[in-house]
Amino acid sequence: MRILVVDDQALNCTLLKFMLEQESHEVFCVSNGKEAVEQFSGINPDIVLLDVMMPVMDGYEAAPLIKKQASDVYLPIIFITALDDQKSLTRCLEVGGDDFISKPFDKIILSAKIKAHTRTRELSQKSFEQKKLLEFHQNEVQREHEIVEHIFKNALVEHLKVPDIIDYHLSPASMFNGDLFLVSPSPIGGLYIMLGDFTGHGLAAAIGALPTSKIFYSMAHKGLTVGEIASELNSMLSDLLPGHMFCAATILEINKSGRSVNAWLGGLPEGYILDEIGQVKRELESQHMALGILESYEFEDTIVHFEVENTDRILVFTDGIIEASDPNDEFFGEERVLEIMSCSRQAKIEDVVNAVYEFTGDIEQQDDLSLALIRCKATPLPDDEHRTFCQIPITFNIKLEHQQLKTSDPVVQFVDLVCSIEGASEHRSNLFLLLSEAYNNALDHGILGLDSQGKDTEDGFYEYYIQRAEVLSQLNSGFLNFTASYLPEDQNVVFTIEDSGKGFCTKLSHNADNKAHSHGRGLGLMEEIASGVSYNDVGNKIKINYCLNERANNA
Amino acid sequence: MSLNKNFSSDGKLFTIQIKGKFDFNLVQAFRSAYSEIGDKTPKVIIDLRETDYMDSSALGMLLNMKKSLGDSVSSIQIANCKPQIKKILQISRFDKKFDID
Repeated sequence: MRILVVDDQALNCTLLKFMLEQESHEVFCVSNGKEAVEQFSGINPDIVLLDVMMPVMDGYEAAPLIKKQASDVYLPIIFITALDDQKSLTRCLEVGGDDFISKPFDKIILSAKIKAHTRTRELSQKSFEQKKLLEFHQNEVQREHEIVEHIFKNALVEHLKVPDIIDYHLSPASMFNGDLFLVSPSPIGGLYIMLGDFTGHGLAAAIGALPTSKIFYSMAHKGLTVGEIASELNSMLSDLLPGHMFCAATILEINKSGRSVNAWLGGLPEGYILDEIGQVKRELESQHMALGILESYEFEDTIVHFEVENTDRILVFTDGIIEASDPNDEFFGEERVLEIMSCSRQAKIEDVVNAVYEFTGDIEQQDDLSLALIRCKATPLPDDEHRTFCQIPITFNIKLEHQQLKTSDPVVQFVDLVCSIEGASEHRSNLFLLLSEAYNNALDHGILGLDSQGKDTEDGFYEYYIQRAEVLSQLNSGFLNFTASYLPEDQNVVFTIEDSGKGFCTKLSHNADNKAHSHGRGLGLMEEIASGVSYNDVGNKIKINYCLNERANNA
Repeated sequence: MSLNKNFSSDGKLFTIQIKGKFDFNLVQAFRSAYSEIGDKTPKVIIDLRETDYMDSSALGMLLNMKKSLGDSVSSIQIANCKPQIKKILQISRFDKKFDID
């Protein structure tokens, strides 16, 4: 220990220094309070022995100044005193003294007191270091939580653009939410909605939310079915999560009109279809185990399909709501939820949440509370973005010989080629229809010389395609020319398909409706979709005009 | 291009889902898909959410299916069409013969 002796009497200093050095302490002596205060930080003592009566600055004055300089670690100040009146001793303690040692010094008592204070000092030092370490870790954890919170916020919350037909409430039991609510528009109109509840709560439960939301959004953007989304989430979560963790979930798809719902129901409490006055029309009972439990080969992606009215609402919630308990350990229960929803047309989910809080009273929230109410309204298609069109003229020429006609089905490749023209890819389906009709007409009738008469009956229809495959496989002559040319002035593409055949008669009437016949519909369709369809005189070359800018078309 | 089919868990809904291209290449697969429907008179949904392309041969296949199934199903719905596919169905007046969602 480093011991500072503060005494104006050189004899006391020498004596104390001698006795303490025998106990292998390092001893520093100064002769008054002022020197002690000034040299304190240089000496940095562990224990201070302080005389009371000194010139310049006495012990009473020096003690608080010394204590002030001591850091957060306990610094024992032992007063050296010959005084024994109570008043003086009390004052010593009041100014910050921790103990007394009386003159003349008793070696054994001095040694014992120094030992006792050394222990206290060491304990204090140890706890100070632990506190510092703890603070460091706390800061570290805090910082990490902030990073994770930031990521979660960006991945989950920012992404969540909830249309006004949905009311929802999420209240995590801790900083991170083990419940998950995701909404995404479908590319074909309508909405995907997912409510999930991971085992437990807090960060451990929330960790699965990131990959789940990523998969959900990407599959929803592609317009996949709820069964496929569930299946993909299951296989990801069963790979990712430890065995005891899983995610109970309800995944809904509401179509554009808001009247038709597909649901994959796995492990959440029952959801409800409520009519406009809040009466239960249908229960959505869980059909499957939660996500992340079953292996892919055991997983079932079967869904529930039902029709709803536009005035109906779908209510879904996690078990945190119904298992919230009051001071007597009674659960809140579904009945209370349904009672609240049916007591008024205007009942909102906030009413349920408030009732849950009122019910549980002062009991700390045990689990994440989440619920959502979806009004079954029509949702419009996502807005079309502003489109731009290619500025340069482009022409493609392709000649296919009979060898290629035999082995390839090139229509999709034609479409891909045309879609490389900026502004054309939105027209993929139409371009396919036009080119498929024209190509198959040229091939079937021009080159293969097939007759569609037999296609009127169901069996004839199938036989036609069997026959087509057969004739095609034996083809040993003929060719087909495909051209596409784009002009930027009117955003128009002109296609021609010319075959090596004799040409077919175009005087036959072709009508899109065509009395429910299973063939002959193609030409009518082409005429409706293209801005112009014409043939050469012989009938072996078709020319199709198609405008990529519908707005110009309409004008 | 592919075709998936499945019954809902209660057996009341039969879904045929067509991915990519719906044309004559699916003639056999499509016919055999609806031949399994059995006698429970389910509702049939032709789910075209992932159908990018169709031509008149697909229309022919749909009409043949309708003729062939007749009263053995409660209804046939063509569902989740992308706008251009829906337009093709409308131009062909399929909305008069099918429930197009």
